[in-house]
Amino acid sequence: MSLVAEAFVTQLAAAEPWPENAALYQQLKEEQILLSDNASSLAVQAFLQMCNLPIRVICRANAEYMSPSGKVPFIHVGNQVVSELGPIVQFVKAKGHSLSDGLDEVQKAEMKAYMELVNNMLLTAELYLQWCDDVTVEEITHPRYGSPYPWPLNRILSYQKQWEVRRKMKAIGWAGKTLEQVLEDVDQCCHALSQRLGTQPYFFNKQPTELDALVFGHLFTILTTQLITDELSEKVKNYSNLTAFCRRIEQQYFEGHDKDCSTIAARSSKKSLLR
Amino acid sequence: MAAPMELSCWGGDWGLPSLHPESLTVMAYAKFSGAPLTVNTINNSWRAPKGDLPVLVSEDTVISQPAKILNFLRKQKYNADYDLSAKQGADTLAYIALLEEKLHPALLHTFWVEAENYCSVTKPWFASRIAFPLRLYLPGKMSREALNRILLTKGGPPLYSLTEVEAQIYRDAKECLNLLSKRLGTSQFFFGDTPTTLDAFVFGFLAPIYKVCFPRVQLQEHLKQLPNLCRFCDDILTCYFRLTVSGQSPAGQDTADANLQKLTQLVNKESNLIEKMDDNLRRSPQHPPRKLTTLKLAAGGEESSPLSRLSP
Repeated sequence: MSLVAEAFVTQLAAAEPWPENAALYQQLKEEQILLSDNASSLAVQAFLQMCNLPIRVICRANAEYMSPSGKVPFIHVGNQVVSELGPIVQFVKAKGHSLSDGLDEVQKAEMKAYMELVNNMLLTAELYLQWCDDVTVEEITHPRYGSPYPWPLNRILSYQKQWEVRRKMKAIGWAGKTLEQVLEDVDQCCHALSQRLGTQPYFFNKQPTELDALVFGHLFTILTTQLITDELSEKVKNYSNLTAFCRRIEQQYFEGHDKDCSTIAARSSKKSLLR
Repeated sequence: MAAPMELSCWGGDWGLPSLHPESLTVMAYAKFSGAPLTVNTINNSWRAPKGDLPVLVSEDTVISQPAKILNFLRKQKYNADYDLSAKQGADTLAYIALLEEKLHPALLHTFWVEAENYCSVTKPWFASRIAFPLRLYLPGKMSREALNRILLTKGGPPLYSLTEVEAQIYRDAKECLNLLSKRLGTSQFFFGDTPTTLDAFVFGFLAPIYKVCFPRVQLQEHLKQLPNLCRFCDDILTCYFRLTVSGQSPAGQDTADANLQKLTQLVNKESNLIEKMDDNLRRSPQHPPRKLTTLKLAAGGEESSPLSRLSP
């Protein structure tokens, strides 16, 4: 978007307060949603909870196609539709709520750098595992991705998506990596996050920021999702401060909420989350 | 001592040891950590296009990506991050991810996709260093790969045209440069007084933007407004690469610039001479009345003073 268009949208966003009927759209929780999409959706939900903004989670099979950028989750607020964590953070900021106002310039630079690290390594590793590892693709991804649609549409859509993701992996140089190398990258990323977190409650000490929401979304999903093997979640479990961090955020922001809560669903259907 | 290590990479110009960001990163890291690398610049070699450059060859192991090369050097005990705390190591990874995501697409675009830059600078430069007939094919392939990468990673909806994607990536790159400048502040390197891996990566990405003379230079202009980053690049070049800031004289445009410089210097000298002569001429009509007074005062100096006045 050009600068003028962005300024216009910000102006529109700032005009109204946050409504009661704001909605977040994602794919179907039990049968359709995949690891990476679940992580992104949980990150946005955590962020909105941290800002104390009410949101309803609505599951639709065609959420990906409804989204303006083709990625889930997206939120429908008033008469605007915004997708992905980055733009949502800016949108919420235009409405007057921000978690990172108290940070100074150097800390903001650090926060952005760590968010890029998570997107670059964790999200790409999740996509690799889902779409480029043949066993996972056959047993989990293909059946789940096309489950709302009849044959042959389900096969066609999942092959199309797989081809798209593999093209992207090839362009950034991940196509040549083996699964062990990808898991090593995840380990390195978790090590860095663990070092940065240390013994603090949140990444920037007392107050949670969008970085905390993003890290929570990804790590919690990895920990509570059952795949073919447990290697990915084992890598995260090696770092006790990260698991404690996830538990803390879950207890603080997600317990005691009745609406489509990921924790209750995750715990009760832990075995069947991705099956 | 470790076996001799040889690094194959693209050569340099405009005062840089290499134009390729990844090669530059590896060379900078080797200088920082004191690793003895013999650098072999690819000139007229058929090995150039196989896989990616830079490539490190040590005994029988061949390693090709910068991150892996740096890991290998660390295992050989050439570690520039020895003094870093764990948190600083984590910060290094995060900032490298930021560079890759935000700055690299714009760098690729400036070098390989921007039509004027590609046709007038990048393609001739690379073509002159690759053997015939590969030079007819390889620059085009690298350009297509760069465009592909930009479109696949950044080009999804809601950005529908190439101009929108370009606007977005340049905005991201400028924001990234601002963030780096804020992080660097007034210190000499990113983590205190000794350079580390992060300094190598930042130098590798910034130096080509800073030094290479392109026709379309919006990123370079933005970088020049951040003096601490420019000083950072210049410091590393002078201290670790033993090149002067103005660099060696490359072919093409810079000889024209050098000639222009010489011409302006000559013109300046001439105008200075003319000014001096003007001054003399202006002062001389006033001298006769003074001479009369001095003649009156100093009886013996009559002959010597006019001679000393008129001779230049």
